[in-house]
Amino acid sequence: MIQGLVQLFIFQALGELVSKFALPFIPGPVLGLVLLLAFLVLRGQVPASMDTVGSSILQHLGLLFIPASVGVVLYLPVLQANAWAISAALVLSVVATVAVTAGLLKVLAKKD
Amino acid sequence: MNNPLRSDLPAISEIWVYLSGSPLLALVLTLSAYLLGLTLYERSQRNPLANPVLIAVVVVCLSISLLDMPYAKYFEGAQFVHFLLGTATVSLAIPIYKGFASLKGRMSVLLLSLVAGGITSVLTAVGMARWLGVDESLVRGLVAKSVTAPIAMGIAERVQASPTLTAIFAVSTGILGAVLGRYVLDALRVKAWWQRGFALGVAAHGIGTSRAFSVNAEAGAYASLGMGLHGIVGAVLIPQAVGWWF
Repeated sequence: MIQGLVQLFIFQALGELVSKFALPFIPGPVLGLVLLLAFLVLRGQVPASMDTVGSSILQHLGLLFIPASVGVVLYLPVLQANAWAISAALVLSVVATVAVTAGLLKVLAKKD
Repeated sequence: MNNPLRSDLPAISEIWVYLSGSPLLALVLTLSAYLLGLTLYERSQRNPLANPVLIAVVVVCLSISLLDMPYAKYFEGAQFVHFLLGTATVSLAIPIYKGFASLKGRMSVLLLSLVAGGITSVLTAVGMARWLGVDESLVRGLVAKSVTAPIAMGIAERVQASPTLTAIFAVSTGILGAVLGRYVLDALRVKAWWQRGFALGVAAHGIGTSRAFSVNAEAGAYASLGMGLHGIVGAVLIPQAVGWWF
């Protein structure tokens, strides 16, 4: 288990390094993700301990963004003033995104 | 003779001062609020409206205001949880890699739909918000809201948006997508599980993905692929797009 955690940290650190010195416009962890993905494709399988650690972290992904989300207390007045407009924008946007993605998939898949 | 136990026992307020000075209080608060959220979510038969993160955020917000604890103080302790976001982002490579196996040559179709969906997400959210006169400080928080929260917050930092607002909008988007997605898909008569799942993953990231998994395994696998790919593509393209649009 510790082995898997160390491997994930190494890819995270590599991603941070690449982000700092080569591709500053892409967040380090995303570069770590891409590097790990390339490693997995080359290796042809997911190391068992990495799979265990990764799956348990992802299973509780929601927990990890609670600390940042609690910062909403700092924005309550401005959010309240814009509550209806923000809700309308969020609803319209998610409906349109599902519709465009699924609609296009359906049309493109039929052509094959 | 004085009872040593008594005289050494610090007043409750002193224990309080000690605890709130250490990261423990914020950590315990965060983890137990999340556990409460998870329990309520399970009790509601995994109703997306009873989202565990949303419940936990409300509970923590109420608790820290009752305790009169400033957010900065709370975050000082909770940052140990926050730190793992980067590690979680890296781990997203695992479900993406596993999803590759079931692709069957659909990659170009998926990528095209993903990019179209991603652009739609940003344009409609920002366009609608501006049209309705939403405060400009909030509008930036909308650009990455369809991307999975850990990546969205990384993008937010690069486009001078608030990671907090982005996380809140991302969670709301996930819940809305999980609740409304099936009606949109039914209206469009999209029947293939892989198409339904992928669209949910692109539009509503992790929360849409867990919804897709609870309906159908193939839909779930494609949803996590959609979420992961949207994260990568979004992290590369969104900061560029924001550069010339804002």
